[in-house]
Amino acid sequence: MRNKKSDFFPVVFLTLIVIISVVALTLTDGITKDKIALAKKEAIAETLATLFPEMNDFTIDEESGLYTPLADGEKLGHAFMATATGYGGAIDILIGLKPDATLRGIKIISQQETPGLGAKIVEGSFLAQFKGLSVDEVDLSADGGKVDAITGATISSAAVVKGVKEEILKKLETLNTEGGRD
Amino acid sequence: MHSFSKNFVKGIVRANPTFILLLGLCPTLAVSTSLDNAVGMTAAFLFVLLSSNIIISLIRNYVPDRVRIPIFIVIIATLVTIVDLMLQGFVPALSKSLGMYIPLIVVNCIILGRAEAFASKNGISDSIADALGMGVGFGLAILLISFIRQLLGTGELDLFGRSLFTIPGLSDNPAAIFMLPMGAFFVIGTLLALFRWMGVSTGE
Repeated sequence: MRNKKSDFFPVVFLTLIVIISVVALTLTDGITKDKIALAKKEAIAETLATLFPEMNDFTIDEESGLYTPLADGEKLGHAFMATATGYGGAIDILIGLKPDATLRGIKIISQQETPGLGAKIVEGSFLAQFKGLSVDEVDLSADGGKVDAITGATISSAAVVKGVKEEILKKLETLNTEGGRD
Repeated sequence: MHSFSKNFVKGIVRANPTFILLLGLCPTLAVSTSLDNAVGMTAAFLFVLLSSNIIISLIRNYVPDRVRIPIFIVIIATLVTIVDLMLQGFVPALSKSLGMYIPLIVVNCIILGRAEAFASKNGISDSIADALGMGVGFGLAILLISFIRQLLGTGELDLFGRSLFTIPGLSDNPAAIFMLPMGAFFVIGTLLALFRWMGVSTGE
């Protein structure tokens, strides 16, 4: 009996396994979906709070990717993500702007730079240099700006500077046109 | 009970998946940059290996030979996705630091290797023993490698945010090469040579 079925049985068995997998994954997704969304929102709030410590709420504009941190309903400025191309791949950077469009600060969200060299871009001593700069001042010192590159990590430093500058210019354009419409 | 302990112990030294069988080296090399990662990876890995060995051992008499590999892969991939979602939902920090290496457990050849070579031919208690032994063997290996790499590469050792100790002098000027992929090859190659020299070799 088994022999006669042998052409057909593997197909049935594999299908069965796949169906069971789909059920198991759907159940897991159901359990974890809200938790993952919550964890992501908390992660955003946590990173925003490093640039805007007095923040107690924030709004997201999904379309433009602009976060607006709020303290008791008052706007503290703007925050948004930038992606720079580093030595080891994409560098995701969170940028915080004050209402007057100078930099509140930046924070590296994820990077794959060389540990011990390029990965130093996450350190406070490098990132602190961005505080208070206007967009024109965001350049490496060697290029007339106000940011000193990390020794041994010029490519990573330059990538961050370039990514930050380009994204600010892009976002300021959006903000200005939106401001004009108000 | 005798075969249980025998199958458990074999994965730790005599058939250690990393140092003797040389399986699953890709995640071992990639994740062994810190003790935190090693612990997290071992936990995720042990869960997937144990579940896959149990399931495959249970269905081993029904699995048609011709489609056994796709079936194993579907089961392993499902388990890994469950682990991935659970980590993202409940331990987002760990999920972030292990990153893409969780999905890559799917293609970790230790798991498929044990499914094919052991669980599909042996009973459930032996398969559990095999999974635990292989899991512990993999865990000890990756912990040893990340211990050496983190210590030399950063000059200090910390576990889940608690600093264990610092080597004075080295922490100011660490040998960063050990944090790089080539450092991983150095460490694993040296350890392999050391174990061979000590006479630990496959007894199977």
